[in-house]
Amino acid sequence: MTASVLLSLNTLVAVLFLLTAFMMISARQAQAVLYLYVGQGLLLAASTMLLAAHFASPELVIVAAITLLAKPIAIPLLINRLLSPALRRRRELSSVLGIPVALIIALLLAVVAYAVARPQVAGQDPAAATNLSIGLVVTLLGVFLLAIRREALPQLFALMTIDNGVFFAGIAITTSSALVEFAAALEGVMVVMIVALLARTIALTLGSTDTGEMTALRERERKP
Amino acid sequence: MVWLMPIPALLAALWSRWLPGARWVTVLAALLGFALALVGAHNILHGQNLPTPQSWIGLDALGAVFALLTAFLGVTASLYSGPYIAHHLAHVADPRAGLRRYYVYFNLFLASLLAVPLMQQPALAWVTVELTTLFSIFLVGFDGSKPALEAAWKYAVITIMGATVAALGFFLLLWGLQRAGGGPQTFAALVQASPLMNPLLRKVAFALILFGFGSKIGLVPIHTWLPDAHSQAPTPVCALLSGIEVSLILYVVMRLLPVFIGIPGLHLEHWLSVIGLVSVGVAAFLLLQVHDYKRLFAYSTVEHMGILMTALGLGKIAAYPVVLQVLTHALTKSLAFYAAGIVLVITGTREISAVRGLLRKRPWTAALLLAAALAIAGAPPFAVFSSEFAILRAAAAGGDYVSLVLLATFIIIAFAGILIQGNHMVFGEPSPAVASAVHGPRGLQWVAVLALLPVLVLGLWMPAPLSQLLHAAARQLTGGLAP
Repeated sequence: MTASVLLSLNTLVAVLFLLTAFMMISARQAQAVLYLYVGQGLLLAASTMLLAAHFASPELVIVAAITLLAKPIAIPLLINRLLSPALRRRRELSSVLGIPVALIIALLLAVVAYAVARPQVAGQDPAAATNLSIGLVVTLLGVFLLAIRREALPQLFALMTIDNGVFFAGIAITTSSALVEFAAALEGVMVVMIVALLARTIALTLGSTDTGEMTALRERERKP
Repeated sequence: MVWLMPIPALLAALWSRWLPGARWVTVLAALLGFALALVGAHNILHGQNLPTPQSWIGLDALGAVFALLTAFLGVTASLYSGPYIAHHLAHVADPRAGLRRYYVYFNLFLASLLAVPLMQQPALAWVTVELTTLFSIFLVGFDGSKPALEAAWKYAVITIMGATVAALGFFLLLWGLQRAGGGPQTFAALVQASPLMNPLLRKVAFALILFGFGSKIGLVPIHTWLPDAHSQAPTPVCALLSGIEVSLILYVVMRLLPVFIGIPGLHLEHWLSVIGLVSVGVAAFLLLQVHDYKRLFAYSTVEHMGILMTALGLGKIAAYPVVLQVLTHALTKSLAFYAAGIVLVITGTREISAVRGLLRKRPWTAALLLAAALAIAGAPPFAVFSSEFAILRAAAAGGDYVSLVLLATFIIIAFAGILIQGNHMVFGEPSPAVASAVHGPRGLQWVAVLALLPVLVLGLWMPAPLSQLLHAAARQLTGGLAP
């Protein structure tokens, strides 16, 4: 493949990656969020592979392989095992904001973040510029997603979206330190495992994963 | 040899998983860790085994202060854990399993804490910081009760989010380093290369790291998880979390300050001051209306982290006071939690309103609690008074009167808040919960007395080697502060 084809493919992957973040904000079912996460993982692995070819970096091929095994395969299987009741539930996910409002705010956030990020990476390597700005935007959208979701499971996926966004930017800019990414990838799996275990404990103990209902800990008027 | 510091705790974690006697093995491991930290500090005072710009692991003066504190708190917390956890699990169906789980996570947590000041590479420092979070999540939710799980969930979600966002900042800095000519990916190399980096890149990295690690330090407005997590965990874990864990995150930020200083158009010192003052102010007013005494001390951590941020914003003049404040806060905050833990064990309630008249019924516990409250509020002759006073004096000497007046006002409000609540618990007629108080394990009081000693002594007299080490750490810190 020629360099320009690689680059345009990578841009296409980046656009789709951004799209999955928006779709996650608009998703109404837990199952749909899981599928979107699988898609996100596949796109992340694809971008890593394209960048490996672009930078001719064998380390990135390894990172791509780990990503492909962990994000779209191992983590979803793990979540499916640990949290299957929450995943199977057909009830609509609850959100602090209505979906149209959330989407509009997310769009504004994305435009502002992109407008801020893009000029800063102008003049850099074009692949790095794409991944860095899209990665930043997806990270920000992930933080927003975390803030508006009320149940444990979608919050977990929001955390992983943030992780994916950071990783999407990371693969383009740390080509010489695959070790760092290797550690980060393993760390990511561990984080998911621990948070999923915690969510399972909460579901088993409290019978619900609606963390929005967890309001025991706050300052209230002192009893006389 | 200092790199061995986290190893005893790691081995103790393995031991606790399969073998009996975890309680004393944990204490032994903590003592070994403390001995290694002392060796490290001794080496630094004699100029031996200092890390080179290439080394990825090692201990410098600033790191040694944090390592010593972590190791000392590790010793007191492990001593306190024995009687506390045994008492805590006395009525559980299978106390053995609970004990095993506790000591495995406790030792892993302590090992990760001890690893943070050793890391000379930002990426590794980030990984160890994330490990401290991961291992402490289960300690926060150890109770398995509804509020404990709620606290653990908030803690996990918010701080992992923060760390992940900060990771992007670290990636950007490493990228900048690579573009500025590469070299080993250590803090030292990063500081050296920072003038060559694109200022915009440094600005974005600063914003990401400040937001990300700020949420882990518990700075307002992302502090909401801190009082929950730092009050729901078992008491010895609270002492480690509030006493040193948040300070260690601040330590990583301190190591990075020289990279961010002098970015054109970014007044680093103003950012630090404003964020610090907002945190102190909000925490001071929350201290007045808190209803749970463990949360009281947790909010005081938010206050103290704010004081430290404000002091960092004062510039080079406040370098020594900052290091001193880290020391006094860690020692005093652990004491405060140990005292609060005894009250919790004997009365069984966390409500301030339910605890009254401790002095009549349990004079020793009452005296310890009162001493802890006075010490953490910053009353003389305790150690926090000297460091807070030094910070205020630095603000006056530097001519930063806005910070001086606001900081002094907030500290006085916080002082009043802590003492009003402490008064309520110690004096007066015993309330029903206090009147029916049980006898707690004796060991808890001895550990609290042990924790009180340095708080009292350092307020009056500073040993020469410790003073040398603090000054060396302060000199190292000045590189990242405004003139």
